[in-house]
Amino acid sequence: MERLITNYYETASIILFGIGFMTLLIHNNLIKKIIGMNIMDTSIFLFFIAKGYISGKEAPIIKGAYKGVEGYINPVPTALMLTGIVVAVSVTAFALALTIKVYDKYGTIELNEILEKGGD
Amino acid sequence: MAVEANFPLLILLILLISAFMMPVIKNIRTVKLFSLSAMLLSLVLSVFTFKHVSRAGTFVYKVGHFAAPWGIELKIGYLESIMSIMFTFIAALIIWASFYSIEHEVKEKNIGLYYTLCGLLIASLLGIVYSNDIFNCFVFIEISSIAASGIVVVKDNKENIKAALKYLILSSLGSGLVLMGIAFLYSVTGNLNMDYIHQELVNVKDLYHNTLIISLGLFTVGLGVKSAMFPVHIWLPDAHTYAPSSSSAMLSALVLKAYIILFIKIVFRLYGIDIVNSMPVLDIVLVTGAAGMIYGSIMAILQKDLKRMIAYSSVAQIGYIFFGMGLGNFLGFVAAVFHIISHALTKSALFLIAGNIIHQTHSKEIGSLKGIGIEMPVTMGVFIAGALSMVGIPLFIGFNSKWNFALAIIDSNKILFIAVLVASSVLNAVYYLPIIINGFFGEENIKDKVFRSKEKPVQVLLPELILAFAIVYFGISSKGIIDLITKSIAGL
Amino acid sequence: MKDEILREIGKFIIPFIQMFGIYVIFNGHLSPGGGFSGGTVLGVSLILHRLTEEPHRASTGISEKAVIGFMCFSLMLYGILKGYSFISGGGELGLLEIPLGTPGRILSGGMLLPLNIAVGVIVCFTIYTFYTLFDKGEI
Repeated sequence: MERLITNYYETASIILFGIGFMTLLIHNNLIKKIIGMNIMDTSIFLFFIAKGYISGKEAPIIKGAYKGVEGYINPVPTALMLTGIVVAVSVTAFALALTIKVYDKYGTIELNEILEKGGD
Repeated sequence: MAVEANFPLLILLILLISAFMMPVIKNIRTVKLFSLSAMLLSLVLSVFTFKHVSRAGTFVYKVGHFAAPWGIELKIGYLESIMSIMFTFIAALIIWASFYSIEHEVKEKNIGLYYTLCGLLIASLLGIVYSNDIFNCFVFIEISSIAASGIVVVKDNKENIKAALKYLILSSLGSGLVLMGIAFLYSVTGNLNMDYIHQELVNVKDLYHNTLIISLGLFTVGLGVKSAMFPVHIWLPDAHTYAPSSSSAMLSALVLKAYIILFIKIVFRLYGIDIVNSMPVLDIVLVTGAAGMIYGSIMAILQKDLKRMIAYSSVAQIGYIFFGMGLGNFLGFVAAVFHIISHALTKSALFLIAGNIIHQTHSKEIGSLKGIGIEMPVTMGVFIAGALSMVGIPLFIGFNSKWNFALAIIDSNKILFIAVLVASSVLNAVYYLPIIINGFFGEENIKDKVFRSKEKPVQVLLPELILAFAIVYFGISSKGIIDLITKSIAGL
Repeated sequence: MKDEILREIGKFIIPFIQMFGIYVIFNGHLSPGGGFSGGTVLGVSLILHRLTEEPHRASTGISEKAVIGFMCFSLMLYGILKGYSFISGGGELGLLEIPLGTPGRILSGGMLLPLNIAVGVIVCFTIYTFYTLFDKGEI
């Protein structure tokens, strides 16, 4: 149990993943589903970036003198997650554009009403 | 460093840069010819790469000025070069066949964007196949999921938008799971290059056994969602049914396969077959594959819409591939890779023919296909080649792949699964053969149909005829391909 | 709410927003920022201009064809620069490269500055295109 508390970043990330997944499944409104998908992606970025933290060292930006390799945290996970954040933003923008088209054609964005109106 | 070593990166650059010239060009004929010529150039470069690999062996190419582990590298062996030839060949034939049918389904001003999305999709699939760095594969997975939703939604109907939204959200869930698997692997080994991760894992595999099981499980579920493994395939019937017919062909034949090839590379090159056999993951893949084979065929029998039936048949065939991989022995993986090639050839021919039939008869139901064989004989000839190959009749390539599956089952001592293989072949026959029989025979069906009345000219049907010829040719002489695949998996 | 007040304030403040966006793009290799965030700031300034203009003049003077042309040209430029760097490194051809310079100045870091500018232009026009397509009601 104390392992869960010492690694509190990873525990929080898994709890957020569960919350996002439940939001994606349970709610009927399409916008809430997209919000759930965003929460899931954000929790995975938190998990990855927390892997790069080394306690006692500072952020990897050179201000004045260069402290050598041991003065900074691991910058590789943050650089990788920049790509991930850009991808998540693109997918969210695409999904929101599709939601607007669904609203134009069906007149509603509640999923159970869309499935009833289906056919055609 | 030989000149041919530059060719894989050159293929990616040609496809990507030519894809972005399409929205600027005004004339539609120029756009079509330009896209086809870029794909044919990639096919020629792939053939040269394959010749170089068969002469000089697997080679590693560093991208940019930094070698691994600081930079990204591409590792090209037999498996990657064979798959690159297959992807560019089938994509060139599908793009050629789409010249004549794309105007009926997509609006005039979106046709340039359609070919942009096709070029992006093939470039990202080839990137997944070539790359040796696992985070680079993740970036290409994301590009391919956006491009694949794009070619479904370009048609602008009600159902298309709903199907593309479902595909996009489920696909994003799948790639989120893959990213979490990468995070676990990075925290244990500290590298992202597949060869370096393998060296580290061999050292630490006893300390971190639970972490390795969790990360392999996350990879399996994530890649399974994106390539339609049995319980999580629910996006596939809608997306492949409502898309334009050439996009359905490209989605069903090529997009699902790239993720399976990534899974094979992860199992062999990243973990090593010894570590994977000590975990229960492959047994779960075997059970889901077998369940998918039966479920896909049963649902296909119940369908009345032609393209939806072919889409459920895709679920069954992907079940075959996962079943072959789940057996766990060497012959199982050889059979799975051979079935990747055979299913790509057959399913693309079937979807293109279905597009032609739906356009000429103006109806999507199977019931309106009575007597279609007299009206469109050449088209139905290609359909017969594809359908008989799916069922597993000798002389067609489907028979060779089922024979390989049977050999793999006998070699692995799980004889019970031969019953599953035979049962699903019989179920395949139940829904393909009635179309052929109702098309050509039966008195009340052919009463007042005129011969070749709805046929399209042979020039339009040439890509499908080339695919049918390939199905028969590789059905007769497939020993060369099986030798190549055996060498490729032994060398992974 | 009076439109004239918004329009006058907009005319005054938009050049400052654009200058800040260009500053973030140009200092991408020295401090946090770079192509993506700088491009977003520039795109937001174009959206603000379109929002506060008079309704019958609501276009920034850049037609739709020009926007798509700019985006495709920047994408191809990005691809060609990256391709040149990759192939000359992987194939070990030994061609010319952009010099590295001293760290800490703006004209340093080799290829980073042109790539950041290309990415900034692409992101700016993409955000503006999304807004105009939503506004006109067609996608």
